[in-house]
Amino acid sequence: MEQQPVPQPGNGGQPVVPPKNWLVESILVTIFCCLPFGIVGIINASKVNSALAVGNYDEALRLSKEAGKWTKIGFFVGLALIVISVILQFVVGVAIFRRNSGSFGMP
Amino acid sequence: MQARNLSARISVLIGLAALPLLLVYFLYDPAHSALFPACPFHRLTGLDCPGCGSQRALYQLLHGHILDALGYNLMMVMALPLILYAAAVQAGNLFRRERRVIRFLYRPWFTKLVLAAVLVFWVARNLPFVPFSWLAA
Repeated sequence: MEQQPVPQPGNGGQPVVPPKNWLVESILVTIFCCLPFGIVGIINASKVNSALAVGNYDEALRLSKEAGKWTKIGFFVGLALIVISVILQFVVGVAIFRRNSGSFGMP
Repeated sequence: MQARNLSARISVLIGLAALPLLLVYFLYDPAHSALFPACPFHRLTGLDCPGCGSQRALYQLLHGHILDALGYNLMMVMALPLILYAAAVQAGNLFRRERRVIRFLYRPWFTKLVLAAVLVFWVARNLPFVPFSWLAA
């Protein structure tokens, strides 16, 4: 239950608030993190919008939940990858530093 | 009321948690520091993905160098106003009775435009000749 359809008078013809399509979040994922999830997210947002355009609110709501699920998976997988990557970089860096300082002989 | 605000609240919390990161990107230049995670796609293929250069662009933006930022990642800089606008509306929804939405984000043409822009940018920035090579990270 992310968003309830709420009647909104005077918003240019559309009687309900559209369910979240996760487009902006997907753009963020595309730009800052993990491309495949970002593109899947944009495609999912597109599906939500298409359902809205033909007035199929229930379908839009279902697709919205699906889109949200994948965006969240993308976010956490991305976060995990970044953390692992930073740790690896650090470990490799320390190893190289130790080897170099060993072979060049610290006093 | 509470239920439909939950996602807005979580988004705002994640946004606030990311603020200290801005300080890191202000203090250290990803172009000259091993501190920052490199793009896995770039590392594997040597090609740029649509997000490559975002971290370096962010550093330049935070120092007011918009042209340098555009040189690292044109799409990221162009998407930023939309992202900030959407974030402001989202944050504002916490204090409004009625949830406000940005209408054009829910139009089929807009999602198609975004998808097309991402794919075209991805291909274009990997073409090894001018003017496309200017788009490379």
